[in-house]
Amino acid sequence: MTMPDLTSHPRVCLAFDPLELHYDFGADHPLQADRMRALLDLLETCQLWHQGDPLLHLPIRPASLDELRLIHTDDYLAAVQRLGASAARLPALPLQQRQELEQQAFRYGFGDGDTPIMPEMHEVSAMIAGGTLVAMSAVLGLPEGGQFASPQERPVHVFHPGGGLHHAWASRASGFCVYNDAAVAIAHVLRASEAKVLYIDFDAHHGDGVQRAFYDEPRVLTVSLHETGRYLFPGTGDVLELGNGLGRGYSVNVPLEPFTQDDSYIEVIENLLPPLALSFAPDVIISNHGCDTHAWDPLTHLALTTRALQAQVRLVHELAHRYCGGRWVAVGGGGYDPYRVVPRAWALVWAEMSGRPLPAQLPTSWVERWHPSWEAMRERERETWEVMGKPQQESGFPTTFEDQPDHFPPVPRLQEITRANRHTASLVRHLAVPPAVRPAFPPLRQRSPLTGLFDLLHLRGADTPSRSQTLQTPRGPVLLRDFCPPSLVERLRPSNGLCSFTRLPEREHRLLLEIARRADCALALAHTSGGEIVGEVTLAPGDAWWEGLEQVYEVAIEVSRDWRGLGIARNLLAFALDLEAREDLIFFAVGLSWHWDIEGTGLSIYRYREMLIKLFGSQGFKEYPTNEPNIAMDPANVLLVRVGSRADQRIVSQFFSRVLSTPHLPRL
Amino acid sequence: MLVKDVMTRKLITVTPDDTLGHAATLLRQFQFHHLPVVQGEPAIFGFTGAVKPLYLEGLLTSQDIDLAVAASGQQPWQERHVQEVMDRSPVCVTPTTSVSAAAQLLVERGLNGLPVVEYEQHEQRTRALLVGLLTRSDLLIALARALGAFEPGMQLLIPFTAGNPTPLARLLLLAAELHVQVRSLVVVPPRNGQPHTATVRLGTINPAPLLMRLQDEGIEYTFPDLALEERRHDNA
Ligand SMILES: [Zn+2]
Ligand SMILES: [Zn+2]
Repeated sequence: MTMPDLTSHPRVCLAFDPLELHYDFGADHPLQADRMRALLDLLETCQLWHQGDPLLHLPIRPASLDELRLIHTDDYLAAVQRLGASAARLPALPLQQRQELEQQAFRYGFGDGDTPIMPEMHEVSAMIAGGTLVAMSAVLGLPEGGQFASPQERPVHVFHPGGGLHHAWASRASGFCVYNDAAVAIAHVLRASEAKVLYIDFDAHHGDGVQRAFYDEPRVLTVSLHETGRYLFPGTGDVLELGNGLGRGYSVNVPLEPFTQDDSYIEVIENLLPPLALSFAPDVIISNHGCDTHAWDPLTHLALTTRALQAQVRLVHELAHRYCGGRWVAVGGGGYDPYRVVPRAWALVWAEMSGRPLPAQLPTSWVERWHPSWEAMRERERETWEVMGKPQQESGFPTTFEDQPDHFPPVPRLQEITRANRHTASLVRHLAVPPAVRPAFPPLRQRSPLTGLFDLLHLRGADTPSRSQTLQTPRGPVLLRDFCPPSLVERLRPSNGLCSFTRLPEREHRLLLEIARRADCALALAHTSGGEIVGEVTLAPGDAWWEGLEQVYEVAIEVSRDWRGLGIARNLLAFALDLEAREDLIFFAVGLSWHWDIEGTGLSIYRYREMLIKLFGSQGFKEYPTNEPNIAMDPANVLLVRVGSRADQRIVSQFFSRVLSTPHLPRL
Repeated sequence: MLVKDVMTRKLITVTPDDTLGHAATLLRQFQFHHLPVVQGEPAIFGFTGAVKPLYLEGLLTSQDIDLAVAASGQQPWQERHVQEVMDRSPVCVTPTTSVSAAAQLLVERGLNGLPVVEYEQHEQRTRALLVGLLTRSDLLIALARALGAFEPGMQLLIPFTAGNPTPLARLLLLAAELHVQVRSLVVVPPRNGQPHTATVRLGTINPAPLLMRLQDEGIEYTFPDLALEERRHDNA
């Protein structure tokens, strides 16, 4: 393993706010805020980090409602605020009001012992989500990460141990998680930049919430390594969950056998993570270091020691430097042995990240402070192991940072487990690692009309399904993005001036969503880093008149009234048509004078027509006469066609015979 | 479970006079494999409960189109009509057919989809009013839903002897007491006189409190396929 050159990344930070210590579900709950106290105490005792050290501490702030809305629904956010505010006085409320709140709690996932209502849970969870968002923004140099006097002061790695609440869904709390901090942070990055994000989840449970949030998004590769869901929560995370639509191949799951130990685990991650990172080429990595994979953790059956936990963090560190300029955020995650495992596991993460060596021995004073807390819960931990079907272990409270190998003898089924994990890893490799990606998908039937537009436009097998580009305009940068998946469109909103057809921005938004959902359409958008859609180009199969013509696509463009004259139309059109299959296809655009925004542009019909011809002319479109009934209705209307140089001659002649065919409809 | 509980109600239909080009565009656009062919209006959308009733004329599948593409000679396949290649008497089910009967029908006849119709008497003729479509995917989704797969949860096996489901009943009472959600409960009929086993899916990441109560009450449970020790292969 090559050690990163520490002088090349001067700043590494740990993000923390004292409010995060309020993320605590009460005394008998497995998730204890004490694990954070014990961690911070360990770091401070070893002089690895101190909250008062401005160089090592990244201050954070709560995520705004607008930011939380990138992932969570309005009704859920309202319920969390309401339930959190009334948690403390719930027992004192009148019966009817209490029942109403309990019903609401039940509907949003707070009705059971897993994620009970917690006082101020909105404020606390928003701070955690904000922490991961600030951390991601900081390493990417986005404004939300804070101002730094010089680029050298911008942190290149950030550890946010309070984050990693990966089970939260859009409108439901689940598995101890209220707001999905990593998903919110990733969605923010997608909205504010061109970056591609690699999410690696080492927690013993499947990272279902994060996977769900980006299941159709090829700009986020989610990789979750977890104990198989055959019986363990949340039950999902099968190898075959690969992503949907354009995001197919961008969700990777590695379900591991129960009682998997270090050797097999390390073999799997070293086998899979480097080729995945290489082929995806991320701009930033975010890793979840849930340490409920440890052999002592009461809630799962994986049997790792600090050796495998260290291998995880070393590997991610190396990948971050090799593939994305070091940009890396690590978050905490699960971990339910709050005194013996979590503080050591996350101190190892911080030590690796910050390049500070750890002493062999745990400080005696720290052990003295926390050993009694473990003794107090020791019996309950033992009982939990027993009912969960885990082997009893005699080891006591650790005295060293690294586990003693003789405390962790090989499990009886070691060979069988290793074989099963190897099999899983090879299946994942086959499914998710290029160049095996394409053959693993149903082979494209060359002559069948039933393939999606994406495949047609990428006949030559390019493997970047969705491109991004930044356009500098006098009004600031605008992001261009092609093949926008529905999840991205949901998180953006149309500019007010972008609705000359639909009249209302909400209606325009619904329309764009419908287009994004269609497999046979392509949607390219121009949007600001604040998430405002200012321009759109759609590619769709020709409608009724052109029915049945293969490889003929209608192009439509619109730019917001408020963003014209900045070159967005020309650039967005060029960007959307910059497809490898463009020379195989026929594109046409129809200009109907009654749709033109004569009022908004202040142009005459004639001038507008000229502008349209010039705009499309820049991409090689030519004007053709036609008796297509809509176009023929007004002499100002125009048909613009671009015939690709490699287009099939049979289709070209079919197309032009259609352009000038006698309409079945009576002429007006 | 009846066909009406799991069938697709949002239907995209074609008429016998539509072209295959049009049908192919619809199949591609909606990523379907079946198009019911109906009489009358050339409407694209035939949502059930729509104003006009739709009477089934036949069924067109993506395979029918692929065959037509492969066989296209002089005439381009896009210009041929749906009625030339559709199946004119597809096997149908009614909304109250049981899902198990429909599943058997699909498997035995090697079919992928069944139109769901209600029969009407009209001037001495029987007409098939189209109300839905049942595909293999609908059945698989119904199965996954029945197993609770769409809800986060963990799985537990509760063995009990036929005729005495008390352990199962105790488990459910304890789950209710501890506010643990039961996502699904599946009991497969015994084979070879083996005792019953119920597969229970519980909506919790932390089953330990419930498991401790089960243990206290002497109720046996296991995790599916969780074995620390070497598996015995003695029972053939
Ligand atoms: Zn580094
Ligand atoms: Zn976990």
